[in-house]
Amino acid sequence: MEIKETLDCKGLSCPMPMMKLAKAIKGLGTGDILEMLGTDPGTKSDLPKWCEKTGNKIVEESEIEGGVFRYLIEKK
Amino acid sequence: MADQNKEPGILQDLFNTFFKKHWPVWVGGVTLGLLNILLFAVKSPWGASGGINNWGENVFKIFGISSFENATPTSASLYGVLCLLIVLGSFAGALFSKEFALRIPPKGELVKGFIGGGLMAIGATLGLGCTIGSFFSGVPALSGGAIIFTIGLFAGTIVALKYLLWEMEKFPGFSTGKSFTFLAASEEKGKWQIWLGWIVSIGTFILAFRVAGTNGVLAWFIISGLLMGLICQRSRFCIVKAFRDPFMTGESDGSVGVMAGLLITLVGFTAIKYFGIGVGESSLRAREMTWIFGHFWLRGLLGGFIFGLGMTVAGGCAVGTLWRVGEGQVKLWMSALGFLLISPISKHYIVPAINNALPHTMKFKNYLPDYFGYGGAFLIVLFVILIWYVFVKWNERTGKFSAF
Repeated sequence: MEIKETLDCKGLSCPMPMMKLAKAIKGLGTGDILEMLGTDPGTKSDLPKWCEKTGNKIVEESEIEGGVFRYLIEKK
Repeated sequence: MADQNKEPGILQDLFNTFFKKHWPVWVGGVTLGLLNILLFAVKSPWGASGGINNWGENVFKIFGISSFENATPTSASLYGVLCLLIVLGSFAGALFSKEFALRIPPKGELVKGFIGGGLMAIGATLGLGCTIGSFFSGVPALSGGAIIFTIGLFAGTIVALKYLLWEMEKFPGFSTGKSFTFLAASEEKGKWQIWLGWIVSIGTFILAFRVAGTNGVLAWFIISGLLMGLICQRSRFCIVKAFRDPFMTGESDGSVGVMAGLLITLVGFTAIKYFGIGVGESSLRAREMTWIFGHFWLRGLLGGFIFGLGMTVAGGCAVGTLWRVGEGQVKLWMSALGFLLISPISKHYIVPAINNALPHTMKFKNYLPDYFGYGGAFLIVLFVILIWYVFVKWNERTGKFSAF
């Protein structure tokens, strides 16, 4: 799986992660994979809901060291 | 790792229900609405900006600034205490769910936090309340000024959101750069957070128990503040989100959660006012006029607008700032600092000047039942909530007003 772009939202709080994510996804092509790194607990609720609504797919979700979570999202 | 397959015990299961996942926002709205009704039944409704202003006045008092030497000590201010406990309650909620961490964002975000907090302080002192006092409590209190304040909030939110989108496009460096996270837990690590959560919660209950002997109302505010902070953190109850998200990603969950709270509060507050529940030493009229401020209409509109700008730039209104402080979001620490430092200055020096410049009239009454009776006022507020609901749901489907 090739990661097309990485979006670093570490340290950012609502609404910046979701705003940056929506903008970044807009710039990708269908099937492209975006890697998102973040630390805001709110994103963990907002992101899946947003993906469900927009049809973009979470292909991987994991927690990495130091309170950072990582999502791989495939653009619809 | 046989342990991982073991079924959790009954109490562990109960704990997980509350602290494993976030709660739906509407659960937060309904429970906060119920606690708000009880606060009113016991004393007076929920408010946040007054408490933060009290903190600020006490900070100035410590620095020996003479205008604030008569400030009420925070320990004697019901709302100052309530705000402190909301921070502590959110801290406990974040600890129980292992979501606490010190999250330090890039420098530009810290600046935005401070400016947003300062703008909220000006908006709240001018509009005589914040998203809680002049909206979440004010609208169900059947205040006409609160509805005007809310219109201002909407306008301010939309303008500030446009600014954030412009900033992200033109100056992306402002919200990028070095960030740090400390004290974070993970699935396996950080059990200390849960233990500290218990210490904070039990400590607060002991404090409330000790206070209850001499000041029952203060004890009630202590417990309510703890629960409110915890509920806000677990349900991500955020009034900025309710106003902003339909215009950003088109999401309506945050808005519907706030509406659920408004609806419950509307029923409870109307009953308390109509029947004069808890009239006590005050007259029935004083009970009816609780949380009806003299901010109709330009003062409310302008205050709401400035507050809307501030909360959107900061990423949290007064209470949203407080509970995110407890969760360790350092941007919101800056917002709280901006709020508490600017609020007393605004109240004493900025607002009187603006207020003198605004036209005033005694032509309007601010209490909706004075015009429409209780039934009419209730239906008007219900109708406003319904219109808002239809708008956010329609917008969610069509994306007509969403930026993305």
